[in-house]
Amino acid sequence: MSDDNWRPQIVAFVCQWCTYAGADLAGTSRIKYDPNVRIVKLPCSGRIGPLFLLKAFEQGADGVLVSGCHPGDCHYVSGNLLARRRFTVFRELLIFLGLEPERLQFSWVSAAEAVKWTEVVDAVTAQIRALGPRRQGWGAEARLQTSNSKAQSLEAQPGTRNLKPGTQKAVEEGIRRIARQLLQTGEAGVIVGYGNGTLKDVTTPLFVTEPEGVEQLVWNERCLNNLSVYLTREPVTRLGRVGIVAKGCDARALVALLQEHQIERDKVTIIGVQCAGMAENGRLAARCAVCDVHTPPLYDHLVEDRALDTGDWAEGDPRDREIAALEALTPAERWAYWQEQFARCIRCYACRAVCPLCYCETCIADKTQPQWVPPAFDARGNLSWNIVRAFHQAGRCIGCDECARVCPAHIRLDLINRKLALLIRDAYGYRAGYDATVAPPLTTFRPEDRAEFIR
Amino acid sequence: MMACRMLRPEKLEEWLAELLRSERRLIAPQRQGEDVVFQPVQTVDDITLDYINTRWPVKAWFFPPSEPVLRYRYQGSGVELEQPNMALEPRVIFGVRPCDAAGLAILDQVFNSDGEDEFYTRRRTMTTIVGLSCTHPAASCFCTSVGLSPTASAGSDLLLTPMGDAGYLVETLTARGEQLLWEYGHYFAAGECRSKEAVTEAAEARMSRQAALAQGIELSERLFEHPIWAEVARKCLGCGVCAYVCPTCHCFDIVDDSDAWGGVRCRNWDSCGFSLFTRHASGHNPRPQQDSRYRQRVLHKFSYFPQRWGRLMCVGCGRCVTNCPVNMDIYATAQAVLQVQGVKHET
Amino acid sequence: MSERYLIEYLSRDSERLPAMRNIYRPHLMTVEDIRDETPDVRTLRLAFQDQAVGESFAFVPGQFGEYSVFGAGECVFAIASSPADRGHVECSFKLMGKVTHALRDVEIGDTVGFRGPYGNGFPLESLRGQNLFFAGGGIGMAALRALIEYCLAHRQEFGHITLLNGARSVADLVYKEDMVRWAEQPDVQLVRTVDPGGETADWDGEVGFVPAIIEKLAPQPEGTVAITCGPPVMIKFALLTLERLGFPQERVITTLENKMKCGLGKCGRCNVGPVYVCKDGPVFTAAQLQALPRDF
Repeated sequence: MSDDNWRPQIVAFVCQWCTYAGADLAGTSRIKYDPNVRIVKLPCSGRIGPLFLLKAFEQGADGVLVSGCHPGDCHYVSGNLLARRRFTVFRELLIFLGLEPERLQFSWVSAAEAVKWTEVVDAVTAQIRALGPRRQGWGAEARLQTSNSKAQSLEAQPGTRNLKPGTQKAVEEGIRRIARQLLQTGEAGVIVGYGNGTLKDVTTPLFVTEPEGVEQLVWNERCLNNLSVYLTREPVTRLGRVGIVAKGCDARALVALLQEHQIERDKVTIIGVQCAGMAENGRLAARCAVCDVHTPPLYDHLVEDRALDTGDWAEGDPRDREIAALEALTPAERWAYWQEQFARCIRCYACRAVCPLCYCETCIADKTQPQWVPPAFDARGNLSWNIVRAFHQAGRCIGCDECARVCPAHIRLDLINRKLALLIRDAYGYRAGYDATVAPPLTTFRPEDRAEFIR
Repeated sequence: MMACRMLRPEKLEEWLAELLRSERRLIAPQRQGEDVVFQPVQTVDDITLDYINTRWPVKAWFFPPSEPVLRYRYQGSGVELEQPNMALEPRVIFGVRPCDAAGLAILDQVFNSDGEDEFYTRRRTMTTIVGLSCTHPAASCFCTSVGLSPTASAGSDLLLTPMGDAGYLVETLTARGEQLLWEYGHYFAAGECRSKEAVTEAAEARMSRQAALAQGIELSERLFEHPIWAEVARKCLGCGVCAYVCPTCHCFDIVDDSDAWGGVRCRNWDSCGFSLFTRHASGHNPRPQQDSRYRQRVLHKFSYFPQRWGRLMCVGCGRCVTNCPVNMDIYATAQAVLQVQGVKHET
Repeated sequence: MSERYLIEYLSRDSERLPAMRNIYRPHLMTVEDIRDETPDVRTLRLAFQDQAVGESFAFVPGQFGEYSVFGAGECVFAIASSPADRGHVECSFKLMGKVTHALRDVEIGDTVGFRGPYGNGFPLESLRGQNLFFAGGGIGMAALRALIEYCLAHRQEFGHITLLNGARSVADLVYKEDMVRWAEQPDVQLVRTVDPGGETADWDGEVGFVPAIIEKLAPQPEGTVAITCGPPVMIKFALLTLERLGFPQERVITTLENKMKCGLGKCGRCNVGPVYVCKDGPVFTAAQLQALPRDF
């Protein structure tokens, strides 16, 4: 693949108790093994955050190896078991984006396993040497030309189903009635709902503080915004106790915000609305085709849609077919696809701004000490930003797809979100935004969690 | 008055085909998924004329979202500077709508002012803008409200206005345009000079948004402190979409991106809507909340820029309106603010 | 750039193309001296590596520069050295963000970048013949230092000079060595003050916030220009105090410290109303500030 003089640069992040001691033993035992690995020692594999792995790739590593104590041997009881879930998700994310699986490897090596350590290093080095230097995008500034890639023929598939709008007028009346009542009784100081936008076919978030104002509240198939984002916004919450109009997906965000202690249950009144699905480009939005929260999972008042036809969307989520098509590609083709997507990113951070779960006071992308996300909007910076965004949402994203809707460059963030949601559902039996009382999947573990990729 | 010629409809494609074979790089509107975007042309068949406006303004071809303005390498305790290699090639950008071309005229003032920014101006002088008048404005368009028109010539080097079967009226507006016309004169008929007035009027009649915003906003302390800003900005989520799709927004950041051997100093687009935009290292922020940041956006376009440069910094393309995640609408806001100001205006 | 550029390119006369001037290209500077003013304020003395540039470099007190550490980025500070100090610039910075931390790590002999001078500088003509009342708070003194040095170097052109230097605590007072030298000059009154609680047992200066000490010193408005720089809250109250003492707004001068990136009126960051602080400032009279929207 490359010239004979090329030597892979591999960064190994290891735990100080087991693997580092094992590697040390390999050295004092004078076992010969491949010298291409630079070791970074950390207290525990639980401290080996995905950002570190990302940074290594960003700075030019051809491969990254992560190693810690065997399950059960963690010197901090469960650091490696928690890390295992993060590694699983992060690895799958990078593979989905087109990284060859061989470039990011994991192992458990104990302090006694000097030989295993040398075997792991030799095997990983051999695999990465066979792959050759890493492709462009990480470390390279040039943008990839992907004019003829198979991946490019993948185009967004709009929902194929027609809308079944239900009885919008009756629902609208129901929302107004409850809103009026909440404002009149003082239970809410502000109703966060939808109003007519300034252009035809557009609604806009609306904040109603007077009972007379409720007539401006509307309900139709264009109520796309996930309004729960405003519950963590001071300019809105300062208006008083919030009553919020919530579709099923919005209510899932509220569940997640409760779970993460960002809102208090008794300080918000949820006007749940039965929703038949929202429209994008005149058709049913893709995510709505597999909606199982036509009735919100959490509400104080429910506005029923008598004509609600939740349908039988037997064809499933069209995005799942796109994900399958992407996964059928070679890593190089997938990489090219996502490089082309991310090349369009202009870092407007609209994806972040509309996300109800992106509530951090200062986003890690805005932090400069250390500079986790490269500041240039080039292939490297854009890739890192999009990976960081996706990973921080893993196991938390409730699938409202607002990020994908607002992306002015039409980057398929929805595919990434969906891919991770499916992974977490299958691996950990968890879906975000249904139950505020359970622990989020990346904050917990089970001893039997999957580990087939760990050497 | 400018010289004008006609371009027969069947000649347009021939001309573009020859431009494509020339040493000028031809950039023109092409389909990309559901959008139309400016891209270098591979074959003339890729060019589309079926668009109201392109997804992005043409600005990024002169002022890219992110570009190195300096490269450096570490040499011991010293540093070696390198000029970033900015590929300079003669270009023709075909099909720029008058609003976006007017945006370039605004950027010219900023980047050409003392301390000329040659990253921008060199690209500008190497590029000939062939404008294409707009006949069917979108519902979000409001160029006439800000003193422009669907056939305005500001910022174009040549402007083509479709005149029905007769083809395109060609206006030559600058030396660059003249040069192009001189080189390709055989495509252009020197027939009688017709007025584009009827086309302009027809296009303007299709414009649903027609308020009088061109006089700008006259700032007073009362207006600056008025609760209307908090009111309109309440739903603003503070992303950068409006600035990044704007043909005239030009705020930028300068950051270093480096490794162990050296690095680049990059100029990145930035937006006054971001909370970090004005925040001092000490934590003090003169614009601590979104209302003051959105106020800056509106007033910069409708008050500050006009005071300094004598023209509005809004061309009425409507992109910020259609791309805003929460339907912030600068047209509606400007109207509302003018109402507060007490200036008579019509809708 | 002229239209000729394109024509010349097209006529393949490319060797006649002028070399690109890059307004963002900094001068390379060698760190010659490092002085710790306080636990978190440091002064760097920088020499131009290109001697010709150094010899021709001139600035007006009050102008600023973009100082950069290659790899960390650029940062705006006032040029704190005397304009008479040819071939050099000095800057004082407080440890705050990414660039100042990187600047803190440079050593004597290292290379850093400098662009400038930018901004308007102090209106020297309108200061001549006047009594000068300087009031600086904390790192704000850095913006006044060049002017103080200038005035002391041209001592006969100015009337009585009062230097009020305030800080949070005794340890935080900047330019301790300079103050000794300044106080030795004829007709110069040096007043040092620290915030209440910031004094030490042997402190012989004033105790109180800068505006309070201004009030106490009560400079005579007639024939005096007040020049003040410091943190936003100090400036706010210093201006109010000076107004109360009868200073007309035209005779109160301060500097705005907005965040800046380009220094050239392009990046938009320091825009306040119709002005760009980097071009029209950073020096403003209180009267000029009064006309601006409260956006700084």
